[in-house]
Amino acid sequence: MRIDRSRPAVRTGLKFASRIALIVALGIASGTLASLAAVGFVELVAVLNEWFLISPRSRFIVDNEPLLLVATVGVPAAGGLVVGLIHRAVPGGRSHGPADIIQSVQTMDGRIPVRTGFLSAAAGIVSLGAGASVGQYGPLAHLGATLGSLVARVNRDNRWIATVGVGCGVAAVISTAFNAPIAGIIFAHEVILRHYSLRAFAPITIAATMGHVMANVVFKRPPLFRVEAITVNFAPEFLGFILVGMVGSLIAVIYMHAILQANRISRQLPVAECLKPMLAGALLGLAAIWLPDILGIGKETLRFAVIDHAFVPGELAFLLVAKILATALCIGFGFAGGVFSPALLIGILFGALAGNGAELVFGDLRSDLAIYAICGMVSVTSAVIGAPLTTILIVFELTRNYDLATAAMVSVVVSNMVSYRLFGRSLFDVQLGMRGFDLSVGREKAVLDRRFIECYVTQDYTGFAPDVSLAEAESHLLRTRRHEGYVVDADGAYLGTVKLGDLVARRQDGGTESGATVARVAQPEPLILTARTSVWQAMAEMGDFVGESIPVLEDFDNRRMLGVVFEASIVKAYLDTLKDIRHEENAGA
Amino acid sequence: MPDLLKVARQMQSGPVRAAISALCIVMSWSNAEAGPSADGSTGRAITVATWGGPYQYSQEKAYFEPFTKMSGIDINIDRYDGGLAELRRQVGNSETNGWDLVDMTMADNRAACKQGLLERIDHGILPPAPDGTQAEQDFIDGALTECGVSQIVYAMIIAYNRDAFPGDRPTRIEDLFDLERFPGARSLQKGPEANLEWALRSYGVPREDLYQSLSTRRGLWLAFERLEDIREHVRWWTSVSTPLELLVSGEVTMASVYNGRAFDAAVIQGHPVEIIWDAQIYELGAWGIPKGTRNLDEALEFIRFATGTQPLADQTKYIPYGPARRSSMKLVSTHAETGMDIRQHLPTYPVHFGTAILKDTEWYASLHDRIKVRFDRWLTRQ
Repeated sequence: MRIDRSRPAVRTGLKFASRIALIVALGIASGTLASLAAVGFVELVAVLNEWFLISPRSRFIVDNEPLLLVATVGVPAAGGLVVGLIHRAVPGGRSHGPADIIQSVQTMDGRIPVRTGFLSAAAGIVSLGAGASVGQYGPLAHLGATLGSLVARVNRDNRWIATVGVGCGVAAVISTAFNAPIAGIIFAHEVILRHYSLRAFAPITIAATMGHVMANVVFKRPPLFRVEAITVNFAPEFLGFILVGMVGSLIAVIYMHAILQANRISRQLPVAECLKPMLAGALLGLAAIWLPDILGIGKETLRFAVIDHAFVPGELAFLLVAKILATALCIGFGFAGGVFSPALLIGILFGALAGNGAELVFGDLRSDLAIYAICGMVSVTSAVIGAPLTTILIVFELTRNYDLATAAMVSVVVSNMVSYRLFGRSLFDVQLGMRGFDLSVGREKAVLDRRFIECYVTQDYTGFAPDVSLAEAESHLLRTRRHEGYVVDADGAYLGTVKLGDLVARRQDGGTESGATVARVAQPEPLILTARTSVWQAMAEMGDFVGESIPVLEDFDNRRMLGVVFEASIVKAYLDTLKDIRHEENAGA
Repeated sequence: MPDLLKVARQMQSGPVRAAISALCIVMSWSNAEAGPSADGSTGRAITVATWGGPYQYSQEKAYFEPFTKMSGIDINIDRYDGGLAELRRQVGNSETNGWDLVDMTMADNRAACKQGLLERIDHGILPPAPDGTQAEQDFIDGALTECGVSQIVYAMIIAYNRDAFPGDRPTRIEDLFDLERFPGARSLQKGPEANLEWALRSYGVPREDLYQSLSTRRGLWLAFERLEDIREHVRWWTSVSTPLELLVSGEVTMASVYNGRAFDAAVIQGHPVEIIWDAQIYELGAWGIPKGTRNLDEALEFIRFATGTQPLADQTKYIPYGPARRSSMKLVSTHAETGMDIRQHLPTYPVHFGTAILKDTEWYASLHDRIKVRFDRWLTRQ
């Protein structure tokens, strides 16, 4: 039977089927690719840690004190040098991370530069492999986003494909790394996309599932975290979890400020940019001679912190401060890496400390130390990455324990509220704000700030050479039924505007000298835009504008006139953008 | 014969060629070497050091007897109880007609190899699987090392006396350290192996992270703290048969034993012995050839035969240790004496294997003396 493609119902059906196929294919392809990359990334870091005497096991086996000393200082320093050199090849001179993904997606661009993406991943692997005190999930998420964006390039017709592809990559990576598919889905929406459209949700869910399949079935990777069955024994302890959330958010704020401050110090340092990570690595190594726990992700310390009496409170507090300083130093001075894994460790140390405190209050009634440790962990991490739902789900998926997830939930929301007031939505948002990209006033500003007026410029205006007489100008304007004419010299430079009303008034006053030209009476408009004025800026400046159209110059130096924009075009651009955003955020399958 | 070899050479490669080559090798033995004497004895003999008990019996049945029948090489058995001390003595003393082969744990094999106590073994001599799969692919991961060829997967488990716990029965490794719920003396091996892993695992440290965690000062400290809890109640064993004797006689309620011996006590001898499979510590056993043996060729011949697909599968008829070749696993069937399905008694049986800990033999080989010293220091501390 032949399909009659001209019939509307068939056409709609085919279009629908191809759309569904595209969404599923996007999810499967980006999910598989990102998940494989995540497994490779994590394995490679583990191997490097073993080779370069960073992992406790390799250090324990070596039993050669001088060699160990040299490695402890030399490996992070050498790693720092390599990272510094890699960064010289990256546009902007730094590795990209979650903040850059957010920026790309929120501006509806969705493209992650491949070169930057892979170089950032390489810098991340070297940093983590050399034992820098940085996290692995930031580089992983960016690698996932790069691959998702790459897959989405097969279809350039739909702009939304790019952003959804990025979301898929990120979700798959988080799903693989934490072995928590639901958390991966939520992370992509809560932190990256910041909306929950069905069109994005479907492929992202498929991608996260692929990640889960890869992690669980194909590679059989062990879960990041295991907590045995524990319960909350005593209802008043929930008050304790609230308190943990409050104090946890303060620790998160201190941690984030420390990172930003270290970055400021690094910028003022009169040292070549590419040598700064090496400097940080050497300092870290020196400290690690006494305190090897601060090297790398510190997974072993993470394990021990949930064990009752593995640490005395003094040790917990000391390690907490040391880890904050070490991480601020490494990230601030340009190592490539995330902020999440160190936050896990800092949070769990704080939580264990809180658990010790709770023992003084509740005595034997206190629940297992692990509950407090995990509440502390999630309250710090969720404030840092600005993702309460994701954090709660990670706990739930990793432990499958309702009691624990409920306790964690309380700490998380309290922490997020406090840190939002004191610091901002997340470290990523604050970093973006410092780069002039402020998401706190709504997404439309972010998008309109990235759309430039040059797209709306029209040549539909009346131009006069400077030597045109006033009478000619008046009659021309009357003939064309316009109110304004723009005086432009032979080089195309804008000299000023003449208004029909002025010309008529001048003639009636009899003040028109014979031979007077438009060049003499033209007045520059009070509002002039350039090609690189953003739509948002134009909207703001247009507030008092009453004219017909606004002249647009190439720039203020050469004053070359490109054309004009109409107020209506700018308003339309604004409305279109709002519509695009609403459409993206509410799109069905 | 020559024709067959010619056929094999003409083939480019692949399973058939490998099979024919293997056939030729076997035939050449039976023709040339086993030929001289009518009763099958060539007067040649090798000395194999192994562990005694039901394990040795299984080896006699599956390896030694068929090997002697096939090659005419007699096998003298000597007793080996693990460790490197006796091996070092054997290698150092060229006067005695010492060991030609020793059946050792993979950790000891690696350590001995590092210290130059063992001959290197070329894995190229090993025959392929019946379906032609090359030996390197047929053996499970980690089974072939510089100086070792594995034959079995065995596990150290905690066994308990059923009669001691009429109510609640221990099921998890934490229960080993829980003297309140499960009172009574324990019998553990006098050494760090398995004890440290179990101690740290009992805190909930995931099995994948055990050795990384034991490599930190705090991890080691935590493990010894946990052992400290039961120290007063432990009777330390050094000979592998001791813990079962103590368990069966009721002198201890729980003991660490190799799973094959626990099977023997429970199933063959009918003692009330049960296994806690949780956190079983599995390891590979491997053949090693002491350095400088006078019978190197015979020893290699033995390894080539005894680690073949069929002998490895045959061993499971006598003792529940998992074969080190994948191709052998398919041939595993019933226990020779009881006729019961042996698969569910193997450490690698999926139900038991979910929480199994792979012994990090590299870790032990590198730390061998240091970690032992550390353990002894703890043991003698009052």
